[in-house]
Amino acid sequence: MKPSNLVILLAASMMTPTGLVAADEEQNLKSSKPAVSHGHRGAKTFHIDNLDGATITYIKPDLSSQPITPVMGKVTMPVSGVDNYHALVVEKDWGDHKEVIIRYQYMFGRPSKQNPVRLTAAQKSEFEIVPDPLPREHYRYHSQQTWGFLARYRGELLKNHPLTLTTSNGSEQTLHTDEHGRVTFQIPDDFPGLTEGERSKQTAQLTISGEYQQSDTSYSTQLVADYRVNPSHWQSTELGLLVLGIGFLAGGYLGQNLKKRDKKA
Amino acid sequence: MSTLNLSVIRKLVQISAFVFFVYGGLITGYYLEDKLSSALPALSCAYDFQGSDLCTLIPIQHQMDHRLGETIAKGGNLLMGVMPTLITLGTFLVLFVILNKAFCGWLCPLGTFQELLQIIGQKIGLQRQESLSKSLVGKIRPVKWFILVVLVFGFPLLTGMGMLNHDLGDPFCKICPSRILTTLATGSTEQLHVDTANATTITLTLLADFLFGLMIALGLTLRQPFCRICPMLALHAVFRKMGLLRLIKNASPRCDRCGLCAKACPMDIHEIHTDMTSRNVTFEDCTLCGRCVEFCPDKDVLQLKYAFIPVFKADPQYFKKRKKAQTNWEKQNLITWFGNKGRNSRAEPS
Repeated sequence: MKPSNLVILLAASMMTPTGLVAADEEQNLKSSKPAVSHGHRGAKTFHIDNLDGATITYIKPDLSSQPITPVMGKVTMPVSGVDNYHALVVEKDWGDHKEVIIRYQYMFGRPSKQNPVRLTAAQKSEFEIVPDPLPREHYRYHSQQTWGFLARYRGELLKNHPLTLTTSNGSEQTLHTDEHGRVTFQIPDDFPGLTEGERSKQTAQLTISGEYQQSDTSYSTQLVADYRVNPSHWQSTELGLLVLGIGFLAGGYLGQNLKKRDKKA
Repeated sequence: MSTLNLSVIRKLVQISAFVFFVYGGLITGYYLEDKLSSALPALSCAYDFQGSDLCTLIPIQHQMDHRLGETIAKGGNLLMGVMPTLITLGTFLVLFVILNKAFCGWLCPLGTFQELLQIIGQKIGLQRQESLSKSLVGKIRPVKWFILVVLVFGFPLLTGMGMLNHDLGDPFCKICPSRILTTLATGSTEQLHVDTANATTITLTLLADFLFGLMIALGLTLRQPFCRICPMLALHAVFRKMGLLRLIKNASPRCDRCGLCAKACPMDIHEIHTDMTSRNVTFEDCTLCGRCVEFCPDKDVLQLKYAFIPVFKADPQYFKKRKKAQTNWEKQNLITWFGNKGRNSRAEPS
């Protein structure tokens, strides 16, 4: 059995038997606070378990990096002062097995003037799964959405390679990468207890994982990210179209009235 | 019309700018806006996943909400709270000085869309509302200031201070027609919706969808309906004296009587022909489109100047050609086309 003790806990309740990666930010647990103190600009802290011997690296948008020392089983991504995606890379080398967890986290600050493609393109571990692309400004991972990911070994894209998407809500699907090393997952709409028409601020975690064997060394990699409930549960496009139509009719009526007024004048 | 005139050049620039700002991210990669400005003086929307830059009103609202508002609420250092907004305005100004209000008349995707609507309206034979009356224009003008002060600065600031709910953190973005337009242009209907999360989101999304429909219908017969109330136009107006590109007037006694410039103005700025004293006539509603200069029949009376260099001047010869081209252009529409077709078919021997 491969050693796979590197564990990030999701609110101390997420455990899977092997190679577990399940995380959540402490920030998320506090997300119900008023806007004044939601503190989304602050450091991000993750609960991590079984970190003995792990190497933790914090990579900034300009690819400069710094080691992170866990404190009491927690890893904190400090405020870097610049915005855009930062990467947290947690690696553990067991000799014949290398395990890595990567998380891309958007941090706020002054403009970094860096394209996050630079961060995703950089090799962060030998075997890694990379978002293609990362959600940009005003976007996040939401259920029902389709997002692409790449599988790479030492920078080379892996064709026809199996990758598995699991969520903290219990969903799982396995797909193979295409000729370009890319796989497209539809994030499951698996949040419990949703009521149509009512907003839900639930977040959960998705993990995309894969295994790779090269000579005598095996690799396991996991990309972790948060995802949210798709707003389509409380947003209606049909109603939107209807209101647009009403606006159009009102505009037509107003336009006619303006003409009549002008003629009279 | 075969002559290449200023309006044709402007249309080409507008279409190129529309493609760049709405789809540019596809070619240049996502998050290009970090390399460009993130403070564009035109309505290029952040909700457009394929866009290449962000309108300056987006960071301003976020900074009012998350920086200045929070700083005030926490009793922090006000200078630090206002600094991000100053940086954004500084970036905005660096760009704005280069083109002044021409960002509206030449580059804004929403402005371009409204001009296309007007062309469609004219081509399908809808009668165009030539000009709005002075009194109506006078009533409409303060709306853009109200939107700028209340929706771009006020509500986000109060939200940051904890006095309003979080859904009012970026209220102008929530009702901005550019958000719906640019996302629809990329094939996404995500931003055209009614959000039933709470009373605020319902109100804002109803308003947004209604406004978008209203703008489309009005745009078919009225020139630039949304531009007239756009807070970006108001923000431009604040800094318009700093721009290098200007509309200059050397008033002649005929200006008082002619009025062709005001008639040509898509924003119905009547003062262009009535103001006989100002030299810089880049009025608050001006978008520096240059139509008034094109349709001025008197030599050098109206000019577009870049710093001190005239780049386009009124000219009687140009005016004649331009007017003829405009008349020909306006004659060509579906009604005249069907009319001609009908006449031709009746004239054919049976």
